[in-house]
Amino acid sequence: MKSTTITGLAALGAGALLLSACGLSEDSGSTAEVEAGSVDPTALEGASLSVGSKDFDEQLLLGQLTIQTLSAAGADVTDDTNIQGSTATRKALLRGEIDVYYDYTGTGWITYLAHTENITDPQELYQNVAQEDLQENSLVWGEPAPFNNTYAMAVTQEFADENGLATLSDMATYMDENPDATVCVESEFAARPDGLPGMVKAYDMTIPESSIQSLGTGVIYQQIDDGECAFGEVFTTDGRMAALGLLPLEDDKGFFPLYNGAPIVQEENPEGDAILGVLAPLSETLTTEVMAGLNAEVSSEGLPVEDVAATYLQEEGFIK
Amino acid sequence: MTTATEQVALDVQPVLARRDRLFVWTDLLIPLLCVVVVVSELFYLSQAPLDSIERDLVSNARIWEYTQQHILITIVIVVLVLAVAVPLGVLITRRGTAWIAPFVLGFGNVGQAAPIVGLIAIIGSFAVGFWPVVLIIAAFSILPVLRNTIVGIQQVDVGVKDAARGMGMSPRGILFGVELPLAVPIIAAGARTSLVLAVAVVPLGTDLNAGGLGRIVFPAIKLDRLEALVAGAVFIAVLALLIDWLGGIAQRLLTPRGIR
Repeated sequence: MKSTTITGLAALGAGALLLSACGLSEDSGSTAEVEAGSVDPTALEGASLSVGSKDFDEQLLLGQLTIQTLSAAGADVTDDTNIQGSTATRKALLRGEIDVYYDYTGTGWITYLAHTENITDPQELYQNVAQEDLQENSLVWGEPAPFNNTYAMAVTQEFADENGLATLSDMATYMDENPDATVCVESEFAARPDGLPGMVKAYDMTIPESSIQSLGTGVIYQQIDDGECAFGEVFTTDGRMAALGLLPLEDDKGFFPLYNGAPIVQEENPEGDAILGVLAPLSETLTTEVMAGLNAEVSSEGLPVEDVAATYLQEEGFIK
Repeated sequence: MTTATEQVALDVQPVLARRDRLFVWTDLLIPLLCVVVVVSELFYLSQAPLDSIERDLVSNARIWEYTQQHILITIVIVVLVLAVAVPLGVLITRRGTAWIAPFVLGFGNVGQAAPIVGLIAIIGSFAVGFWPVVLIIAAFSILPVLRNTIVGIQQVDVGVKDAARGMGMSPRGILFGVELPLAVPIIAAGARTSLVLAVAVVPLGTDLNAGGLGRIVFPAIKLDRLEALVAGAVFIAVLALLIDWLGGIAQRLLTPRGIR
């Protein structure tokens, strides 16, 4: 019966793996009281709210910042962050399962409102999205935060120095001379008009199909650093950029739209205006540098999202 | 152990029903159904009001390219699984090497029980491309073939083996001339399970540049393009059905006439 013991042990080990994998998303629950700093402690008194977010570091951070700020404003907040995927998060808001979450203007335009043309001016993009989403889906987009999370093509510092690369135009020239250089992108980026197809057109690049590798977001950063990808698609506010010392190439023709994060609520939500009012001062402080720094604390230093959010809110005086 | 035995019993039953002819006209129902589904889906896509993102995702050229990639990965995985699992299964049933059983079965169990997405994420931080994905999915789908090889050989009637020995056949001759041929239907049933598992899991390899129909499904999910998502899912399902059907035909052809 030795075989059953070992099979059992193996099954236990695998079971533990499964459990830990599930455990990551099981963090729903009410949060502790937070003492208000500059936030009006009575703005949301007695309100019972639920805050959502998508499932990556920046979103988890925005979720915690929102939760703690709303708690400081007197609301009883439920943590429903870490929803898998953009569409699922958006649908949770539409069904009223969550009251508020931060989304990006570009995602709203391309993914939810199903447009295919590009708007490169951030303010114009915000106004279009906010107006159309209000009319069609009765959703209110709050004032956007100044941080821009947009796409960029990144390279290692050494690779940039060796080949004199600083801008996407340099990349186009490099690709003409070295068509074999690997370009790593996510399958989503390869399908978006504001992604690879648009970039190739705007910079008149020639990237042969065989040079394109389709990878997951998490993998790309490491693969650029390892030299497996000469160029890789990244997000400008991602914490791993600084941690790995990757260099984003300057978008010298201003092709990539600038995507701002903004809190969204349902129009019919009685607390909607109050929520957006409480979050507006917080949003104002969230610049690209601030978000990149906070993201780095989470993704590369491994600090808990809750702590990073609390420390930031205390430093800025929103909470005590 | 009980679950494996039950599963085998279920798989074997249709094989035990004796047939006079190797093929009957009902064999054509599955491929016919697949053709109808694919043609209607392609027709629907050519008529549907798709936006430029969707049209690009489900262009005929892409569907064809990704389907070919999907089939290639699946076949390589299954060849690899058979090449590893059948010899290991045979070794486990030999008296001299039976001691490897706990290690081999332990590996097979862990392979199947470990969350495949996690495996792909872990391996992905070391290596990407065709072979890493093939190896992960092969490890994931090895168990059915392994178990069925062991059970298939063990279920060979002791009397038959005695008779073979009585005729003066060597142990090697008995293995290749009696035990393995009689185990073919059960091993093939395991291989079909592995095939279907592989077809279904290959899309997860998209994130490691392995290609396949996942390259339609995942962007469609992220960009919320339902038409493209349904198309990708339909092609994967059709592929699974067709490959299982082919497996069934191969199973019948390889089964010795006496037990067909």
